[in-house]
Amino acid sequence: MIRALLLAATLALVPSLPRAETLVTALSTERVSIESNFTGSGVVIFGTIERDQQTVSRGAPYEIVVTLTGPLRSMVARRKERVAGIWINRAARDLSRVPSFLAIATTAPMADVAGNPVRAKQGLGFDMLPTRGLPDALPPVRTEFDAAFFRLMQDKGLFSLDESSVEFLSPQLFRAPIALPANVPIGWYTATVYLFSGGVLLAETTQDFSILKGGFEQAITNLAHQRPALYGLATVVVACFTGWLAGVAFRKD
Amino acid sequence: MDLYLPIAEMPMNVFLLLGMGAAVGFLSGMFGVGGGFLLTPLLIFSGISPAVAVASVSSQIVANSASGVLAYLRKKTVDLKLGLYLTLSGIIGSTLGVWVYGVLRGLGQLDVVIALCYVAFLGTIGVLMAVEAVRAIIAKRRGTPLPVRRPGQHGWIAGLPLRIRFHRSRLYISALPVIALGASIGFLGALLGIGGGFIMVPALIYLLRVPTTIVIGTTLLQTLGTMAFTTFMQSTMNETVDVILGLALMVGGVVGAQFGARVGQSLRGETLRLLLGLLVLSVGLRFAVDLVAMPEELYSISRMGGG
Repeated sequence: MIRALLLAATLALVPSLPRAETLVTALSTERVSIESNFTGSGVVIFGTIERDQQTVSRGAPYEIVVTLTGPLRSMVARRKERVAGIWINRAARDLSRVPSFLAIATTAPMADVAGNPVRAKQGLGFDMLPTRGLPDALPPVRTEFDAAFFRLMQDKGLFSLDESSVEFLSPQLFRAPIALPANVPIGWYTATVYLFSGGVLLAETTQDFSILKGGFEQAITNLAHQRPALYGLATVVVACFTGWLAGVAFRKD
Repeated sequence: MDLYLPIAEMPMNVFLLLGMGAAVGFLSGMFGVGGGFLLTPLLIFSGISPAVAVASVSSQIVANSASGVLAYLRKKTVDLKLGLYLTLSGIIGSTLGVWVYGVLRGLGQLDVVIALCYVAFLGTIGVLMAVEAVRAIIAKRRGTPLPVRRPGQHGWIAGLPLRIRFHRSRLYISALPVIALGASIGFLGALLGIGGGFIMVPALIYLLRVPTTIVIGTTLLQTLGTMAFTTFMQSTMNETVDVILGLALMVGGVVGAQFGARVGQSLRGETLRLLLGLLVLSVGLRFAVDLVAMPEELYSISRMGGG
């Protein structure tokens, strides 16, 4: 009790504690709409590092890491093996709740921004992203299936890492453009901005935005998934009609 | 010009789609087959997932066979009763096929089963057609007529119980081989995204001895019925039919088919069968090479539960 009082008194005597920086971030768009002519798009994440007189001065420069994470999905990675002369899928490994899209943009190489223990805790970076469960204090154990998953996702353009694309416009203001490829998955996305200095995580913000299909595309998707019988019938009718029309149009007699 | 395919969830060049539809339509019009066995692999090779490719091609086959059936109905060369028997049994086979398709997809073995089936069926049919056509060409050159089949001659297959009379085809044969044939074509059609005409036509001619004039119209009727049902089933059970993709293929396909049919009529029957045999064989070989050759990438990823 006395100790607590002493502590409180000490705290009260200190005029004001050094305060950490605060991050304020914004997205260039809150909703990307996929129309029939969609061939990819982009989103820009803007941010500013706010500090006041009480903020401690840092010896190391500010480093920014921006991640854009797509809807989480459970995936299966499979490996082909030769059986009786032909190559078939044999061994398989489940990857639980991994992002369907992940773009990472930074101001400097990831290893220089923060050490492994810090990044492991956040699940930050391709080498630290958990493929089974939640982020842990220890870096996740990687199998060749995980390696294949990251390689294939990068080949498809769904995972990307750019260690120089975050640009400081002023000592406090930065921007991070992120490209969305044509095959970008539909759903809710989370943009997370991390502020590091000297390998220490100072602040973090998250922001959501959605990638949705446009009116016509969405109407078709809704019909296909919500009224599949009607959709199937309509498709058959359209097909028969197209065939009939062609028959009439090209009729020779 | 790219067109976003809402169910495949990816854009594709609309001229590429129309072109593929037209090229396959041209060949199908020329040879009198549906062309699904060419179109489905083409779509898979161009990056569309096998699930969406197989299901969407079934809608394209509906359009193609619908215009064909109309033409043959006008010429009155369709055996409606035989077509009905084949269609109804085809629907049973198709139901089973759509179900097996879903199971294999979950197990991750769909691709290899599709490839093996393509190798087996295209290889066998291709070789049979090519050999038969070469024989016919040689016989014609030498001037020795091939033995003529009389319509009354039936093999043991036709003599099984449950005999039914098909007036239009002038046949009195067992219903069992008819049902078995329809069901297996329906099964393969749903599983492989093919109409099955290239199997049905020789089976009707050589196994059931249906007169050649009636075969194509009747096959098209069966294809139309079975694939319309398959499209419906794939829509309701797997939700993988992309109507925009299907429509682009249909438009290209029906136009291509008209020009193909004109070229086909100017070619001799044996030459046509030899060309078709070689085409079928080469698609089968392509699949065989992919199965046997060491793949560049041993790993693959897919969503749990398919897709």
